[in-house]
Amino acid sequence: MDPKVNGQLQHDWGWLIAAYLFLGGVGGGAYTIAALNSFMGASMELSTTIGLWIGFPALLIGTLFLIADLGSPTRAFLAGMRPGTSWIARGTWIISAFMVLSFVHLVLRQFTDVGTTAGGQTAINIIAIAGVVCAIGTMAYTGILLSASKGIPFWRSGVVPVVFVVSALVTGHFAIMLGMTLSGVTHTTVETLRTMALEAMGMVVLEVLAIVFFLQAAFRQPDPRESAERILRKRMFVFGYFVLGLAVPVILMRVVYNSTPESGVGGIAAVAVIGAVLGLVGGLILRQAVLICGALPTLNIAGFEFRRIHRAKEPKPGIGTLPPQ
Amino acid sequence: MPRYGMVIDLKRCYGCYACSMACKTANHTPPGVFWARVLMGEVGTYPNAVRQALPVLCMQCDEPSCLEVCPTGATQQRDDGIVIVDQDKCMGCKYCVMACPYGARYSVEKWESYFPDGLPLSPLEEFQKKSWEEKSGVGKATKCDFCLDRIDDGKQPACVQACPAKARIFGVHDDPESEVTILIKKERGQVLNPEFGNKPKVYYLFPR
Repeated sequence: MDPKVNGQLQHDWGWLIAAYLFLGGVGGGAYTIAALNSFMGASMELSTTIGLWIGFPALLIGTLFLIADLGSPTRAFLAGMRPGTSWIARGTWIISAFMVLSFVHLVLRQFTDVGTTAGGQTAINIIAIAGVVCAIGTMAYTGILLSASKGIPFWRSGVVPVVFVVSALVTGHFAIMLGMTLSGVTHTTVETLRTMALEAMGMVVLEVLAIVFFLQAAFRQPDPRESAERILRKRMFVFGYFVLGLAVPVILMRVVYNSTPESGVGGIAAVAVIGAVLGLVGGLILRQAVLICGALPTLNIAGFEFRRIHRAKEPKPGIGTLPPQ
Repeated sequence: MPRYGMVIDLKRCYGCYACSMACKTANHTPPGVFWARVLMGEVGTYPNAVRQALPVLCMQCDEPSCLEVCPTGATQQRDDGIVIVDQDKCMGCKYCVMACPYGARYSVEKWESYFPDGLPLSPLEEFQKKSWEEKSGVGKATKCDFCLDRIDDGKQPACVQACPAKARIFGVHDDPESEVTILIKKERGQVLNPEFGNKPKVYYLFPR
């Protein structure tokens, strides 16, 4: 392993952290959509139920990924000790509050009849509003965690939290659509799927705008530019995220939106599942690509920059052989 | 309480890596971990191009970003300004590694042999690994601490003692009579990337 040099990619945060950020986003996005749908009446009943079932488990699994990445997992309980300055500590409290609220919301709605009384419904609504605040906090936190890292210039952008929030809402949409289709598509479900497909398309457009703005801003400065060039050279990002994770799902969502129950429930379900799965994989790829393309800043003193020296390696003669004449 | 600092005279440094080796020997750092590393850079164009070595270590900043982001309080700053990691509190989240703009922090979860092809650890490596695990722990954040043990024994940090060109000068940073302070003033010492705002206490004397 080489010693750390300027422009070297960070290798301490890998796919476990990408999965943590992704699942935090999916959980936050799915819950936000579910909670907002719960105020829209019976027409969005199924999407609310599915969203609540996705929110809490996604967060729980995501947290397990974070704990798995810790060098000393048994000390994970210390994570919230310094919320005054550390975003990991703040995030710990935000996610903890969100997990409690999303769990209570799920239990009250699905396993009790509290919602049948006026007072009980008001209580659930208050929990839902508080939950949405924490969900937005969680989605934003996954981006702020990176943008507050002074050692990686590529991440030091206020646009990163925006990209991650929008991506979380997109993946939340796709997760709910996937859950809905897997739980059985009926004629009523198709209408909800069409509404969600329209919303997902709008959110994907926003995500494209955010990511383009993020990369464009990165290209304006030398250190982030190096990471931006690296990320655009990655097939995983260009084809996995832009093409398969954004473009193809938009086309498939358009197909879902244009369909009617008469055009075949099974076909609509298949298209929705493929689009949702690709969109979810794209969300994971986005986070992984942003993480692994984070490079160390260039050190300089008195205008003298210490960059990595790129030189073609000359072939060395093997042991016991003479160098070529 | 005196606050320690260091001056590195780039006019004297010729990139021999003795500091890197001395640091590894003194602190038994694992492969790939260089608390004292040397970067090589080039400046100018032919025929006036020069190659310059830049030794880099933890800057023991007055306003360390690693301290700010640590969620558990494991990263602490002593009264003498040296930034340390309390291994009993560190949970190994590696956020400090991401926060340090000078790339001075490391986290190692597995000690791999210096030798290739999956060879087992040599007896020396076994000794170093054991020593490292006792002092720094596995999977925890680690960094240069100006060789605290040596300072407490009245010695210089290993990198300073090993430098054959006397390019490194260690001492009290806030004493106007100390060699460190005099050199910084006299030769207009500069810090790396002042725009980071961390107020490092490692100064460089640059050829003019």
